[in-house]
Amino acid sequence: MSCLIVQSDKTLLLEVDHEQADACRRAIAPFAELERAPEHIHTYRLTPLGLWNARAAGHDAEQVVDALVQYSRYPVPHALLVDIAETMDRYGRLTLSKDPAHGLVLTTTDRPVLEEILRSKRVAPLVGARIDPDTVVVHPSERGQIKQTLLKLGWPAEDLAGYVDGEAHAIELDEDGWALRPYQKQAVENFWHGGSGVVVLPCGAGKTLVGAGAMAQAKSTTLILVTNTVSARQWKHELVKRTSLTEEEIGEYSGTRKEIRPVTIATYQVLTTRRKGVYPHLELFDSRDWGLILYDEVHLLPAPVFKFTADLQARRRLGLTATLVREDGRESDVFSLIGPKRFDAPWKEIEAQGYIAPADCVEVRVNLTDSERLAYATAEAEEKYRFCATTATKRKVTEAIVRRFAGQQILVIGQYIDQLDELGEHLNAPVIKGETSNAQREKLFDAFREGEISVLVVSKVANFSIDLPEATVAIQVSGTFGSRQEEAQRLGRVLRPKADGHQAHFYSVVARDTLDQDFAAHRQRFLAEQGYAYRIMDADELLTEGA
Amino acid sequence: MSTADQQAPRSLAEALRARDDASLAALLRARPDLITPVPTDLTQLATRAGTRASVVRALERLDAFALQTAEALAVAGDPATWDELLALMAGDARDPAVASALPGALTALREQALVWGADDRLRLVRTARELLAPSPQHPSPTGLGPSVREATAGMSPGRIQEFVANAGLPSTHDSVSAVSALSSLFSRRRKMAALLAQAPAGSLDVLERLVWGPPYGQVTAEPAAHLRWLLDRGLLLPTAPGTVVLPREVALHLRAGRAHRWPEPTPPAVQPLVTHRPQVVDATAAGQAYTALTTVEELLKEWDEGGPAVLRAGGLSLRDLKRTAVALDVSEPVAAFWVELAYAAGLLASDGEADERYAATPEYDDWLERPPAERWGQLAEAWLAATRTPGVVGGRDLKERALSALGPGLDRSAAPEVRRRVLTLLAGLPEGAVPDAEAVLARLRWEHPLRGPQPQGAAGPQGSPPAPGAHGPYGSHGSHGSRGDEDLRSRLARWTLTEAELLGVTGRGALSAHGRALLGAGAAAAARPAAGDPAPAGPGDRLPAHHRFVAPAATAPLAAPEQAVATAAAARLLAPLLPEPLDHVLLQADLTAVAPGPLRRPLADVLSVLADVESKGGATVYRFTPGSVRRALDAGRSASDLHAFLAEHSRTPVPQPLAYLIDDVARRHGHLRVGAASAYVRCDDESVLNEILADKRAGALRLRRLAPTVLAAQADPATLLDGLRAMGFAPAAESAEGDVLITRAHAHRTPPRTAPEPVPDGPPVPDGTLLTAAIRAIRAGDLAATAPRKPAEDAAPLGPGQLPRTSSAETLATMQAAVLTGEALWIGYVNAEGAASQRVIAPVRVEGGFVTAYDHTADEVRTYPLHRITGVAELADD
Repeated sequence: MSCLIVQSDKTLLLEVDHEQADACRRAIAPFAELERAPEHIHTYRLTPLGLWNARAAGHDAEQVVDALVQYSRYPVPHALLVDIAETMDRYGRLTLSKDPAHGLVLTTTDRPVLEEILRSKRVAPLVGARIDPDTVVVHPSERGQIKQTLLKLGWPAEDLAGYVDGEAHAIELDEDGWALRPYQKQAVENFWHGGSGVVVLPCGAGKTLVGAGAMAQAKSTTLILVTNTVSARQWKHELVKRTSLTEEEIGEYSGTRKEIRPVTIATYQVLTTRRKGVYPHLELFDSRDWGLILYDEVHLLPAPVFKFTADLQARRRLGLTATLVREDGRESDVFSLIGPKRFDAPWKEIEAQGYIAPADCVEVRVNLTDSERLAYATAEAEEKYRFCATTATKRKVTEAIVRRFAGQQILVIGQYIDQLDELGEHLNAPVIKGETSNAQREKLFDAFREGEISVLVVSKVANFSIDLPEATVAIQVSGTFGSRQEEAQRLGRVLRPKADGHQAHFYSVVARDTLDQDFAAHRQRFLAEQGYAYRIMDADELLTEGA
Repeated sequence: MSTADQQAPRSLAEALRARDDASLAALLRARPDLITPVPTDLTQLATRAGTRASVVRALERLDAFALQTAEALAVAGDPATWDELLALMAGDARDPAVASALPGALTALREQALVWGADDRLRLVRTARELLAPSPQHPSPTGLGPSVREATAGMSPGRIQEFVANAGLPSTHDSVSAVSALSSLFSRRRKMAALLAQAPAGSLDVLERLVWGPPYGQVTAEPAAHLRWLLDRGLLLPTAPGTVVLPREVALHLRAGRAHRWPEPTPPAVQPLVTHRPQVVDATAAGQAYTALTTVEELLKEWDEGGPAVLRAGGLSLRDLKRTAVALDVSEPVAAFWVELAYAAGLLASDGEADERYAATPEYDDWLERPPAERWGQLAEAWLAATRTPGVVGGRDLKERALSALGPGLDRSAAPEVRRRVLTLLAGLPEGAVPDAEAVLARLRWEHPLRGPQPQGAAGPQGSPPAPGAHGPYGSHGSHGSRGDEDLRSRLARWTLTEAELLGVTGRGALSAHGRALLGAGAAAAARPAAGDPAPAGPGDRLPAHHRFVAPAATAPLAAPEQAVATAAAARLLAPLLPEPLDHVLLQADLTAVAPGPLRRPLADVLSVLADVESKGGATVYRFTPGSVRRALDAGRSASDLHAFLAEHSRTPVPQPLAYLIDDVARRHGHLRVGAASAYVRCDDESVLNEILADKRAGALRLRRLAPTVLAAQADPATLLDGLRAMGFAPAAESAEGDVLITRAHAHRTPPRTAPEPVPDGPPVPDGTLLTAAIRAIRAGDLAATAPRKPAEDAAPLGPGQLPRTSSAETLATMQAAVLTGEALWIGYVNAEGAASQRVIAPVRVEGGFVTAYDHTADEVRTYPLHRITGVAELADD
């Protein structure tokens, strides 16, 4: 009996407790996307993107078919094998390359394919003269566009046109008392070898260091795009600490500061600011001859940035993310514009290696009081979630949890400011929200880091990239509806390895029999699929325990 | 053999009379239409074997080489000699492959009674000759034109003498000898070569263009010198103004004697393209066989509670097919296949109710109880024998009606034969070998070539003749419903390959062991080409008792008992390969359950209620949702049942979130109760209600206490009111809003209605056009009925309005005579709807059972099938 079951809907079920599971996982990981990783059976999915990713990484259809046939417990449906071969065969029929005489050209090994795509209305404006039956000139400015379009047409082009080196700038890793972890090294190596692409690592697994490693490889001026200012500061802090770069070499390009330096960290927000229909900060992309562009949290990449990215295809691009799941489903744009996935490590595996802290996830279910139930039942549809998410019982439960973990660093995370203010008051803890100034935020973060404050109440401003190394307990009282990636990010807050090896705790307080519970189920899905089993507790249980 | 020294037969009937019983049996086996009904004697049999319909049918069943041989005979002399035939087939070069295959082909033709006579007097049945000989209307697949004699018929003797003179022959005293001199010149290779050697530049190119057909070319009124040279010598003969034809003799000279450009003496080989290990093939096929079973089960389960409605015209609506395809997670054509398979196997049918729906049959329940391998056997057997072809679903029939799954018009009688033939071809390969689908198709085309112009010979210059009547000239099944550019047999073969894979008869393209067994024991042997059989030596008119040409036995379906044995053998082979059903699942914290293989039926049944299926295949992934758990509770299971069930069947501990989910849903399940009542009694005084309930007379009202102050009744409000009044109460009726209803008489009204339209007396006055047309029709009919006609020799004079009646032979003869004389005739005609009429027609052409004539009655040229003409009479000359 083998460990893999190939389903006709193109999912692969891997029995993880099987002795061959490891070998099988290694064999199928290059071409199958891990979709769910609960405790016994992991689900992988075969998608065209996944198969093309594999082609981009140099695997061929035969390897894929062999892997499936070798490990499959039941005979693999013939149609599936045929489909795999056909799909994979579509990649690389078209290649983008540099021609010494004509510049950027699209060549094909299969003339009818070229004919087919040239007939497409969407391709026509992107290409120039036909040089010979198999080659057509592509306007260099349309390199990204044509890749996007071809992918949509189902004929993804392999981009071999290479990259500009960019302006050289010496960057070295400063490996003093630490070293890149093996998987980080592997990620940097895979990325560099592939040219451009995305590295998928769980929160807390050191994505920043992968970025730093890539910069040290490129040794050129670098533009780093991050989600917000706090995150920008943290990147800067980390880079100064981990590399030969100094404060002066790193610029911040945000709402408040507009510095352009050899390494510039810009926020998505400032780039996508629009005044009178134009993006005034776009010149940043052209302000220097960047050799590397880093995208932090690729899954959040706003749509306009995709558009700019399409014009930057001659520069190396590295995307960093914890998940390729996008709530807007633009995974294919990530594939065509930033690049194929170059490295991926399952969350649990890195946890097993001890690089991220194990976490205990608990869903606490609270009951609404009778009057709250009536209020909830009669509330307008758009108000319903707010009603149930801010029930007073949650406060009591939160207090009980805080009491239980007294002395540990605790984060209380929520969506509604009123609720947070009230919690802050009752817990006697400072509240960080949108209106808190950046200086104040950093002061509070520092105090929390130093252990001067042990409980911090934060709104969704803290969703991304803040580094709170000693937070061991997170209590989520409300969230942005059913956002799965928000849940993952929040869990990420407590997953950084703890100095004392403490177990991390993640509590999600949820109102029973309401929308809140439905949203929570949706949010938890990603984590449950990553193998984080939620325990469910009754509020009463917790309250009596605490009493 | 005693008949060896008998005289050569003079007719087909005599030839048949000389044949032994086995040989006649072979004929009747090959052409079963000849014995329905059983002919009275051999003369009748011979006559019937010469009828057009029967000959067409026989020709369609010939393999490519036999057909080519028949075509060659059609262009050869009548009778032809063996050597003549051999020359036409094998060419001057005497192609050895052709020469060695020819006796076999000739034997086949003889056996089919298409050719008779000894080797020195080979005769092709006249009808076959008419069908196959080239004519301007029906270009022959050989691409040959008419012979010199045919092409010069009707030419002035002076013209013919000119040809003779120009070709350098001595002039003759009459046209007939001139023509034969010319054709013998053209047929002599050496002399002809010498003649052509003198041809001016360009002439040969012209001939080259016409040599392989179509033999017709266009010339201008003033042909160029090189064309002139050809025309002068009769190397090209004029047929119509501006059109010339290359005479057959010239073409044959240029072709080195060959009637066919590409004779196909041997069937195209079906070679393995790739070879898989037989174990892999069997395992894949078994996996697919299991999928087939689950798919059919799933389909019928889907339709368990009321399947889709039956369309008024029969069949499944496109929307229902789409829905089914989505439910089964397959494409629509594949869904159509499964639906049709279940139908063919008798597992589903229309329920025949007024509101007609599809549903599983009682047979389905029996089927479910059988072991999996047997169930598969039943499906495979039904598939093999079915004439219904799901492949055509979604297409349109000849009347442009959409063909729907389970609907009418899906039967293709060739399907079972093609299916079996394709599979036997696969069976002829070594185990695990996958043939090229195109090679299989090429082989099938060879065995049953499509009659008509060869693909390389472009359509005849005259275009195709107008199709007389509704059906094509050959009434063939080939065009039925075919919309693609492939013929039906090829499409059937392609579908067979796909369907065999879906059903698990083949695995990864190669025939599995159980698939092989399904075909029966003889299949593999029959599939091997009959190359091993000695070709009958010395093809005399008598056939050896061993008949080489019996349409490969394997294509004939097995008789029911044989098939049952074969199916059972297949099931036995398949059984050990099917996965053993499991009795456990793996439960996971993300609220999924994975069954790592097929489940035992009771387990699968419960689980499919308790959880939603997310992914199917070798394994099944179930997801528990509040909805699915509620469904299980609705089905009468309690929370503790479910816990126990999961604990019993899970290999792993039941995850806490799942236990929580069940408890959570169970806690709220049944909290609200819903029931139906048709009236209620409400009273603030509880004691009054007690009193009512206690009263015996209230029994009929079926009252039930819902709350201290409310009673629910099953009786309607009016009955309830009457009942309570009878008990001495004074109830008041209440409206839906709770107000007391006041009853008062009210007027009864209809819904809005329009006033009736006035009905005028008699039909409206017709307009001018209509009147003119009507008058003309009346006058034409009048002419037909009253035209004075010669009294038929022995027939009683016809009364007015009576149709003329003559025997068909007489009709034909009169018609043919009328074509020559150009006279108009009076005919009786029965149209397709069976309505008889009389018409006056001037026949132009009589051919292939049809008369093309100028119809005086309708004032246009029409085509009439001869068999519809009841009789004919000449018009009186006046």
